Amino acid sequence: MAETVEPVVLPDIEKEEQTGDQGELEPGYLVICWDDPVNLMAYVTHVFQVVFGWPKPKAEFHMLQVHNQGKSVLTRESMERAEHYVHQLQSYSLHATMERDA
Amino acid sequence: MKLIQRDGESFLFHISKREKGLLFEVLKLYPLIPIAHHRVSQTAAAPRVTESQKLLESALADRTRENKRQLLAMLTQEARLQETDGAHRLTLSLPQMEWLLQVLNDIRVGSWLILGEPDEKKGKPIELNDENARYYAAMEFCGLFQMTLLDALQQSS
Repeated sequence: MAETVEPVVLPDIEKEEQTGDQGELEPGYLVICWDDPVNLMAYVTHVFQVVFGWPKPKAEFHMLQVHNQGKSVLTRESMERAEHYVHQLQSYSLHATMERDA
Repeated sequence: MKLIQRDGESFLFHISKREKGLLFEVLKLYPLIPIAHHRVSQTAAAPRVTESQKLLESALADRTRENKRQLLAMLTQEARLQETDGAHRLTLSLPQMEWLLQVLNDIRVGSWLILGEPDEKKGKPIELNDENARYYAAMEFCGLFQMTLLDALQQSS
């Protein structure tokens, strides 16, 4: 990810909100964003805010995970919703995929 | 190019003649990323992966067509660009800011792909030649315009 210097405030650790009924029997899909050297850090943060409606600190937290660890698991969803998010992220030219949660 | 005023969801930018010419030239490159470049999954483990891939490509093709339509409108609507004191005033709505960011990033990433996906961290520098130099310029100019739009969104939020 191309670097842009900005102060970063990490979010408080909080339990992720469950969206919909995700019982143990329901298979889930992970939406993952992968690092690349071309997307600007500020742009990635902005896209996370727009697509997921996240506050900036949470968006920056995941952006830095992508930058430092090579990828970040953004959310776990049903297949349809995971597809929706991947479509949204890729329409912004981010490298995002969905993988089945083992 | 800089933000001079925001009124609700309307952004007013000052843009010099040279910047306007540069922006419009760069925008003519859209789209640059091949639809098939986007992959829905990195593994073949997900069921229905073929259908998902087709859905993704269809959705992205629709989005690209819509972005192209809006882009042509922007390049031809004189009212959006008003000449003043040897420069221009560019008015963009919030949705237009979003699609312009998408379009600029498509050109930036597409240029990077054409340049052979250089990655200095991995010891893979850009190898410039007469054929690809304009894509290096496009990649950098798009980044500059993107940062201007992102700063404007940040300042006003």
